[in-house]
Amino acid sequence: MKITDAAVFPYPNGDTSVRRLALEAAALGFDSLVAIDTPPGTYGDIEVRSGIIFRDVPVRDIVNRMKRYRGTGTVISVRAGDAGFNRAVIGMKGMHILRGIHGAEKNGFDHVTAKMAADNRVAIDIDLSTLIAMRGNARQKAIARYRDVLVLEERFEFPLTVSTGSGSVLDLRSVRDISGLCSLLDMDIPLVEKALAGVGTVTTPLVPPVRVIS
Amino acid sequence: MTPRPPTLRDKRRYLLARLEPAGTAVDQKELYYVIADAITSLFGDAAAAVMIQAVVAAEGDFVFLRCRRGTERELAIALSTITSLRETRIVLRIIAASGTMESLRERIRTRKSPEPAPAGSEDRIFDQKTVTPVYCNGQKIDVIEKGFKNAHRFFLTTEDLEKS
Repeated sequence: MKITDAAVFPYPNGDTSVRRLALEAAALGFDSLVAIDTPPGTYGDIEVRSGIIFRDVPVRDIVNRMKRYRGTGTVISVRAGDAGFNRAVIGMKGMHILRGIHGAEKNGFDHVTAKMAADNRVAIDIDLSTLIAMRGNARQKAIARYRDVLVLEERFEFPLTVSTGSGSVLDLRSVRDISGLCSLLDMDIPLVEKALAGVGTVTTPLVPPVRVIS
Repeated sequence: MTPRPPTLRDKRRYLLARLEPAGTAVDQKELYYVIADAITSLFGDAAAAVMIQAVVAAEGDFVFLRCRRGTERELAIALSTITSLRETRIVLRIIAASGTMESLRERIRTRKSPEPAPAGSEDRIFDQKTVTPVYCNGQKIDVIEKGFKNAHRFFLTTEDLEKS
């Protein structure tokens, strides 16, 4: 099991180089990072995976763009939208993570979408930057949305990922801090461990239950 | 006033946290209010009253915090939501928790702190920007972009500077 931060934004998107983020992440207890718009690499003990996020892009364009990244090892994420959009992107081949659920429409992620996510092994991301940076009503809404997602997770068992959305070393949090923040969402330790290993789960190809021997 | 006997006193715990980025000037009172705000915002006044947090000391980049025993976890969660002090971006990294400050001081003695870059250290080039190193700690190096205003801090490694 690799403990992974599912989205960091190294320089030039943030103020920290990918090497420095990897150094700090290792000290904070991570095994790997998904760095958005950054080439993959290994820095010390940390594996940095390349990631891409599609934001505010129509479904048709996402299909075309996704083809470019398929089979490259890039972790593909899409920002959540309304229910129709979410169902369409979850059904796409090569899709890994649906993120930004807290900012999507209230009924954007329902039991049907949850079932589809479980069937297609698409992870739902828990963005901790919302819990860290937001205050008051905005944070309360985010916590409520994530708790609702976790109710569906308990029923359908779709994969989860956890991300800090760090653009800086100052935004990174230790694995213990992440566990503490997740406890605000009523996540127990095994569920936090599952979420931290979520990137590995969605990027590992499924082993078919039946092997055909000719 | 007669002091309360030890068996009737509240049990306290002390937390040692490191303030990042290195070299940030801390005013204890301001830090106390930032932490109090984070606790109240996250857990409410009732929980804050139970915690009775205090900033006991700030020595260099290290901060000693105190809370009621059994509330360390909540305090740690609240600390992880702190992102700024005045207008400066900061983060508090918890290093240890203990029943006495002395054992936490022992921890500090064994840790290597980031050192300020030597005076007159040379300007370097990073991604076609002229930058001045301000703090170094092993491979880690913090630099400030040279400019007339809004000096921006970058967090790099020595390898990043060698390659650019």
